Amino acid sequence: MVYVTSQRKDIVRNEGFRTVIIMKIDFSGLESTAPLCGASSEMFDGFSTSPSFQIPDTTDFDDFQKEAIQMVKPAKGTTTLAFIFKEGVMVAADSRASMGGYISSQSVKKIIEINPYMLGTMAGGAADCQFWHRNLGIKCRLHELANKRRISVTGASKLLANILYSYRGMGLSVGTMIAGWDEKGPGLYYVDSEGGRLKGTKFSVGSGSPYAYGVLDSGYRYDMTIEEAAELARRSIYHATFRDGASGGVASGMLCFIMWDQPDGRSYLVMTLGNFTICTIQLNQPLSSRRCPKLEFLCYSI
Amino acid sequence: MSIFEYNGSALVAMVGKNCFAIASDRRLGVQLQTVATDFQRIFKIHDKLFVGLAGLATDAQTLYQRLVFRHKLYQLREERDMKPETFASLVSAILYEKRFGPYFCQPVIAGLGDEDKPFICTMDSIGAKELAKDFVVAGTASESLYGACESMFKPDMEPEELFETISQALLSSVDRDCLSGWGGHVYVV
Repeated sequence: MVYVTSQRKDIVRNEGFRTVIIMKIDFSGLESTAPLCGASSEMFDGFSTSPSFQIPDTTDFDDFQKEAIQMVKPAKGTTTLAFIFKEGVMVAADSRASMGGYISSQSVKKIIEINPYMLGTMAGGAADCQFWHRNLGIKCRLHELANKRRISVTGASKLLANILYSYRGMGLSVGTMIAGWDEKGPGLYYVDSEGGRLKGTKFSVGSGSPYAYGVLDSGYRYDMTIEEAAELARRSIYHATFRDGASGGVASGMLCFIMWDQPDGRSYLVMTLGNFTICTIQLNQPLSSRRCPKLEFLCYSI
Repeated sequence: MSIFEYNGSALVAMVGKNCFAIASDRRLGVQLQTVATDFQRIFKIHDKLFVGLAGLATDAQTLYQRLVFRHKLYQLREERDMKPETFASLVSAILYEKRFGPYFCQPVIAGLGDEDKPFICTMDSIGAKELAKDFVVAGTASESLYGACESMFKPDMEPEELFETISQALLSSVDRDCLSGWGGHVYVV
């Protein structure tokens, strides 16, 4: 039930009150959202279409929400970027995980496979990103099975954005980019835990993103070769790790690759090893719509 | 992040056989942004006395200037250099003068006293001295440094071995800290 207020001159009363029109908007297409009354998930067998979390019993839920947000506040210490160019979509990220000032890991995989033709990047809370990307992968697979065709990047990003919107204010910290290839070609969306969803050709997320944008914006051209794009992505991440304390650092492994599924059947995988080498692997198998190339990527630390 | 973590720093001093070593990182940052990669944190007071200042960089520089001033006065009056123990007491007194509006610094003092006996000590931002016989640490990476020094330290090391040990301890500790790093300055006396 959604309450919509409007002013309609024909039924305005003499007292000057605004009339209230109550409309029931059909939300069934968006599936059920977080249970606000703490419904138990044992009622659903197998797994429910949206995971339900128990809401804690507090007298002051607003304060609890504020505290929950503060708990993940120092997050998003990372640099990730993605851009679309002539040959496809390029995704790159650093590999440092920091907790405040402490570096907890230098070899974190921040690029997550949602399914063989879609990638998500991790920025913000690691647990949040990993869980919700995996959940999104499940939903995409269910869509494929139900509709006998792959889900589009638009649809997948919308699914994720709606889930995150329903948990808005509860302290989730997710700043992700959904990059993939569908029938319309390469697709790139930015989705965050405030519920925002943006379509674009160039994004960078994280505390090192201003530095990465500087390099990325000045070097970007739509018609680059794969090697040029990989080099640009690598340089952007490198400069971000130089300036930002929460990214990369002295010994940083970097992971950078492209996914590409062309109608003529060729598929490329580009990897950068450490900060110095770029190698291109060409897969010569023709690809049907059912068999998708499994993305294998390697993460190296210096 | 607290005021001590505004600029980021890592300092360590170790005692060897008739020698000491003091090392610091080189990064100067404004919270997460790196501003300089060649910042000086260890200063010479005289040939056998060095002081390193961790914490807020502006306070470190101001405090260093005051300490050099006091030491030069001492040299004029006493016509000799200060002993490290005396210098430590001087630093402690200067810090406690500002008890209710302190310098946000943690000094690490390292020197050679009479008969080249090495002396190291550290203090908190209001002057509580902590003398140690093996090593002292300060800065944002101090917890990692404690661990690294504890495992790598051996008593009575020669200068070359001491240099290796302190460098490895410093580098491995700053690798675990976002706010310090970018190489190190090491002084072995």
